[in-house]
Order: sequence, then C-alpha cells, then structure tokens
Amino acid sequence: MADRIILTIGTKKGVFVADAAKPRRSFALRGPFGPGVPVYSTLIDTRGTPRLYASSCNPFFGMKVLRSTNMGKSFAETKSAPAFPKDDGRALVNIWALEAGGGKKELWCGVEPASLFRSHDGGDSWDLVPGISNHDHARKWQPGNGGLCMHTIIRDGNRVHLGISTGGHYLSEDGGETFRASNQGVGAGFAPDPYPEFGQCVHKIARHDDAPGRLYMQNHGGWADWTGPGGPRPDIGVLRSDDYGRSWRSIAKGLPSDFGFPIVVHPHDADTVYVVPLEGATRSCPSAAPAVWRSENGGESWSRVARGLPKKQSYFTVLRDAMDIDRLKAPALYFGTTTGQLWIGREGGEQWDCLFDSLPPIYNVKVAVV
Amino acid sequence: MVPTGSDKFHSMGSAPAITIHVPGPLRTYCAGAAQLSISAHTVRAALEDLQRNQAALYRNVCDETGTLRRHLNMFVNSDNVRDLNGVDTTLAAGDVVTILPAVSGG
Repeated sequence: MADRIILTIGTKKGVFVADAAKPRRSFALRGPFGPGVPVYSTLIDTRGTPRLYASSCNPFFGMKVLRSTNMGKSFAETKSAPAFPKDDGRALVNIWALEAGGGKKELWCGVEPASLFRSHDGGDSWDLVPGISNHDHARKWQPGNGGLCMHTIIRDGNRVHLGISTGGHYLSEDGGETFRASNQGVGAGFAPDPYPEFGQCVHKIARHDDAPGRLYMQNHGGWADWTGPGGPRPDIGVLRSDDYGRSWRSIAKGLPSDFGFPIVVHPHDADTVYVVPLEGATRSCPSAAPAVWRSENGGESWSRVARGLPKKQSYFTVLRDAMDIDRLKAPALYFGTTTGQLWIGREGGEQWDCLFDSLPPIYNVKVAVV
Repeated sequence: MVPTGSDKFHSMGSAPAITIHVPGPLRTYCAGAAQLSISAHTVRAALEDLQRNQAALYRNVCDETGTLRRHLNMFVNSDNVRDLNGVDTTLAAGDVVTILPAVSGG
C-alpha cells in the first residue's frame, strides 16, 4: 500500500530526495547526489519497484543519467546516456525530460538540441527517435533563453505530445513514428507572423488522464504591448486545447500576467489547473509578491492562492519543471525556486509552507506517492 | 601508471611514448588511474587511443562528434593545444598531455 510521499529535487548542484509519511508533516532530505552538477530532469518511476532517475548535466564531462533503486539512498550512472550518432553532426548539450514509456522499463528522454531518445532497458542504452529528431523542421528550430530544448513528453496511447522551446507543440498519433507541428492558435511574440506553423516558445504542456483530449499549455506570453511587425499579441501565454492538441485557445484572461513557466493539472479534477504568472522582464511574480493562480473551471476564471507565501520583495523564478502536485485525496502542490526554496501548498495550494529554504537553485521538482 | 593500447604507428615501434594526466573526477572512468601511458604521434592519435581503449573516459573528454568538450582544456606540457595546432599538435617522446576542466564551465 502506498504510504510515503517522495520528492525528487533537481538543482544546480545535484539532485536531492525528500520523503515524508502521508500527513506530510515533516520531510527528510538527503543528497545532493551527483554533487555539483546541474540536474534539469528527474523521474519517479512507479512501475514495479520504484526507481528514481535524474539527468546529470555536467558542463565539463557531458551528460549522464543517474538511477536509484533504493528510493534515493544512492544513485549510480546507467550504462550510457543518450548520444547522437557520430555522423549526425549534433552533440548533446543537456537532458531536459525523462518520462516513463510502455512496459516496465521503457523510458523517453527529451534533450537539447531538441531531440527525442528512447530506452528499452531502463536507461542503459538509448536510441534516437528519428520521426521528431530528424523532422524537416528540426534544423530550423531556434534556441530559447534556456537553450533549444525538448522539455515536455506526454504519452496517451498512440498519441505523443512534445513541447519544444522554441519549436512549438508536436503531435504524433502513431506512437512516435511520425510527428507534425500542431500549433493552431499558439502564438509567438518574437516573430513577424504571430501564428506561425512552428517555432513557438512553448514553456510547458500538461494534461489529465481522465480528459485526454484536454491539454493546457504555458506558452511564452508577455507580448500585449508589442509594437513591432504584426502588432500586439495579448493573452497568448496560457492556452487550452479540447481536441487532443490540434487547436488551442487562450484561457489567460483574469491572470495578472500571461507569462510563466510551469502549468500543472489537479490529479482528481481535469478542470482545475495551476500556473505561476511572472513578469516577463524579471521572471518574478508581479509586485514581487509570489502567488500561484488556480482555475477550477478549465481556465474560464482564475483565483490567487498565496496564503503563507512572501507578500513582498521576493524575486525568485519558478522554472518550467519546478512545480508538481501529489495524488493524495487532498493533494499538495510543490514548487521550487531559483533562490533555493522548496514550498508546499497544502489542500491544493490553500496554505503554503517552506519545506527547505537554502537549497541550490531549483530546476526540477517531481512528486509521487509510493 | 596504467598502460593502454597503442596507435597504429606504435605497433610499428615509431610512435613516441607519452603520458596522459587524468583529472580526479575522471579517474573513475579509467579504473582509478591518475596517469595513462600510451604512444601517439599527435593529440588526435592520443584521443583515438583513448576512444579505443578507454571508451568511458573518452566519452567524458570528447562529445559524440569527436570534438573536445567545450569546457575542457588539453595541454601538451605547459601549452594549451588551442594555442598550438589543436588536436593536430604533434607529440614527442616524454611529452605530458594534461586534461583539465576550464573555469568557463561554471
């Protein structure tokens, strides 16, 4: 019976693991593992005996994938990390996404430069997925501020949704064999064409198992006052699809900013979605007062949930993979900050408490009940 | 000092014997060795020797295109190969090749 909450926390200086009993009163922290090396992606793989994975993105010595089979008491490198074929011409810069695939050992991995890899043996060997990695568009994508990264992998039977910054949303309906750009209604603020076929700076995509046709997207917003070619593009930052990602519409009205990075769906209610609006210039919350914003009607309206969070003078950023939500009956949200705090929002974000306040800058937070 | 394989010239007895100093964080990829003794005419040949005989170490030094990783420096004696002839820098018997992380990496 699942009875513990486990958190993986990817930071600039390695991965930490925290766990707690179900009431979540006190979390024990261990780590860092892969000390001193940035960790942009983690995965808590709950298929069978739980395994934890972390990308270890070493600026000196290249990429590694770390794996723990003892709930984060120790980590070891897998036998290999994703790598491009020698004649490809591209070299791995970073690992941005690790997701569970089919069966018990398949893993999917999104990397920089934006490409997809798949492992059939729990991360010991990796194959490039050519349908997207060698897509006709692949050499035309441009790096965003964080690099040219494939950061979102969502599997839904034979459908696969990918988020690429800056490439946009790509959809496969044949299990990942072929992909097509699927960005109708997804705006871009940094190009003359406000609605290009591809090249949008998608920040994160989320969905709910009970509503597979519904997807939510945090896009690169903040273009309401744009005066360049094509004119202003208000509200392109927070979007929703109701047709499996074929088309998208804005749900940003009511938010203080349509710019942000993470977007998270409530585990028991596909209509409840959370974002962290940020000011585009500073990448911090409006008025330097951090807040999560919640919609309980699929984005038709939004409310601020910030009880317990600092009320002023807080300039941290919550990055694209630094917020998650557990699956308990009254779920808790968790987010990590670029200033090294890990916050828990109990009762779906009603009450916030700081679990750890002096970690390294946090890139990634994942939670599971195990 | 751990002897490794040799390049094609070495098998003919003509490649100079050199020493590669391995930085601490990479010794786990070559059985803990701090130094490797190989024979190679050039830095490129030395890297090819590592690729053949110390594959795990090589993957930490060069990316999948064969390029020396951006935040690593290689020195031949006291000179950075970037200031010499890059990986085509020739080696002489007794040369010491040192691999070091650059400060640029963070």
